[in-house]
Amino acid sequence: MKGMKKLVAIAMMVAMVFSFTACGGGGGSAEDNGEVNILMWSNYMADDVVAKFEDETGIKVNFSYMSTSEEAAAKITSGGGDEYDLVMPCDADLTGLINGGYLEEINLDNVPNLENLGEPYKYRKDIDPENKYAIPYLMNFVYVVYNQETCPVEIDEYKDLLDPALKGQIASVTGQRNLFPIALASLGYNPNSTDEDEIKEAYEWLKGYVPNVAGFDSDSAETMLINGVASVGFLFDGQASKGFSNMPEGTLKVAELKDPIQLGVDELVIPAGAKNKENAEAFLNFILDADNMSENLQIMMDQDGQGYACPNQAAVDKMGEDYRTQPALDIPEEMKANYFLQLDVGDAAKVYDKYWTMLMSDEQ
Amino acid sequence: MATNKGTTLAMGGRGHGLKSKAPAMATAGPVSIWMILFVMLPLIYILFISFMTRNTFGGIDYSFTVENYTEMLQPLYLKVIFKSLKMAFVTTVVCLLVGYPLAYWIASKPPKLAAKLLMLVMIPYWTSSLVRLYSLNLLAMPNGFISLALMKLNIIDKPLDILYSDGMVFAGLLVALLPFSVLPLYSSIEKMDRSLIEASKDLGANSFVTFKNITIPQTFPGIVGCIILVFIPALGMYYVPEIMGGGKVMLIGTLVKNQFLVTKNWPFGASLAILLIFITLAILWIYTRFAKLEDLEVC
Repeated sequence: MKGMKKLVAIAMMVAMVFSFTACGGGGGSAEDNGEVNILMWSNYMADDVVAKFEDETGIKVNFSYMSTSEEAAAKITSGGGDEYDLVMPCDADLTGLINGGYLEEINLDNVPNLENLGEPYKYRKDIDPENKYAIPYLMNFVYVVYNQETCPVEIDEYKDLLDPALKGQIASVTGQRNLFPIALASLGYNPNSTDEDEIKEAYEWLKGYVPNVAGFDSDSAETMLINGVASVGFLFDGQASKGFSNMPEGTLKVAELKDPIQLGVDELVIPAGAKNKENAEAFLNFILDADNMSENLQIMMDQDGQGYACPNQAAVDKMGEDYRTQPALDIPEEMKANYFLQLDVGDAAKVYDKYWTMLMSDEQ
Repeated sequence: MATNKGTTLAMGGRGHGLKSKAPAMATAGPVSIWMILFVMLPLIYILFISFMTRNTFGGIDYSFTVENYTEMLQPLYLKVIFKSLKMAFVTTVVCLLVGYPLAYWIASKPPKLAAKLLMLVMIPYWTSSLVRLYSLNLLAMPNGFISLALMKLNIIDKPLDILYSDGMVFAGLLVALLPFSVLPLYSSIEKMDRSLIEASKDLGANSFVTFKNITIPQTFPGIVGCIILVFIPALGMYYVPEIMGGGKVMLIGTLVKNQFLVTKNWPFGASLAILLIFITLAILWIYTRFAKLEDLEVC
């Protein structure tokens, strides 16, 4: 009997050990031809449109969701990329992913709808001149809005944000790669500069900006505008949009900046080793279709009360008046065209981090 | 501790030991394997990459360097490290000063009432710490309760400028960590031999001398437990400065996060993480100079 007990104990231990490996190795099997595995933001694509794709093609779409865009890039670079067929990093990570060989080339013969993208958003010479690696999905501007009743200064360039009259008045997104570019642009340098002297000068510029910031909040900077803590917002258009819909009409206004504004693009890429590359391309072509994309935009707009900025010109042309006249996106064409992207800065990332740490470690 | 013990057990299968050790393997084995897979191996990997180099695209180049450690000595990083240590230190001292009298008072009550009072200390912590931190922020807003109340009482004439400041980070750390000081203190004060206090008083010592010579030494393990349970998390909890500092206050936790997620300089982030572990070990080592690790009152 004693031996029996031991046997049971050993068996239990073995079973437990194997239950671990089962956990570790399971999940994400993508052998079946009839599916496509996508890693992207949650609530960022209409279910009905996805269902339409599944009906039309018989390809099953499996979604996984990420919580930060860094997470998407990290999944690809740390070797987990082959679990997915499409991943949605932001444009800032693109150059690193391309040069590091982490992405599959897209066979454009399978994606004829690429032509629907607006001119500035395809064959982009800064990041993907032959459009081999990335398809822009939706995008957002980072710009300045102000409360017309409480903001004490006129704002038509970034330099106006340094006005001491704005002390503790700005609701701002945070992050070194969001703030250094506006300082660099204001100083007349390349917003993606890799020159240490220029970055240092931008740091000095930002030392004047930080005291004017009420709070840094990349997730919901608009809250500070809505509850009156801040009179100016340096934020994403999606956040501005929430501000517009939660404040009395005519209070908030997008500042018409002379300086270039930042554009962030959510890209769809195929990670190296993706198991269902052709299905991924079929999906890309489907979502680039003008009807599908405009339906997607409309459904999300009805759901969230805000329409996203979209690089797909053919789809935007199909959108109704309510989409095109929403205050957060209804900005002058010159402003929309005068944009810059966040590009990979290579080793200069360390320089940015150094000055960012210096900026943020002062007494508050 | 648990890891070491588990490892020896798991490997103790050689020679005559197998039969006698089988039950131990069955009971402690899974935990040991868990610890090895999810604690030890990742830590070894962190130690390993802390000596590697960041490549241009934010990946890891497998070439040896100690630059990540010398980098830390730059004044700007030292400043962040010292500021974090200072914050953690002040938090610990205040937790001790607030927690000790509270724990002492609770311990002096009859056991049934003491249990209820301890419950009162714990109840706020049944809600998410994020909710508690955000509500602190709401109170501190220029149009929040604190400013409005003080203005109504004519104590101040314009709203306080306290939102998103070092002071609020400090308040957040206190709110997050106070029960971790009360619980170990309570458990050691409660075990204290109170007849010694009577004896001390009978022998003519005043309250201060009695407190210094009798109470403190007897509750020392609780005090150290409190220091360890408050100081170490205060150093590492990065979400408190993120939320309470409105992203304006940089402490070491945020610095580590930035290295991994923003700058993609994993090797430097890893070396900072190793520094944090080193500080933790150093505190435990200092403790072992004074008392046995086994006596630690960490509930």
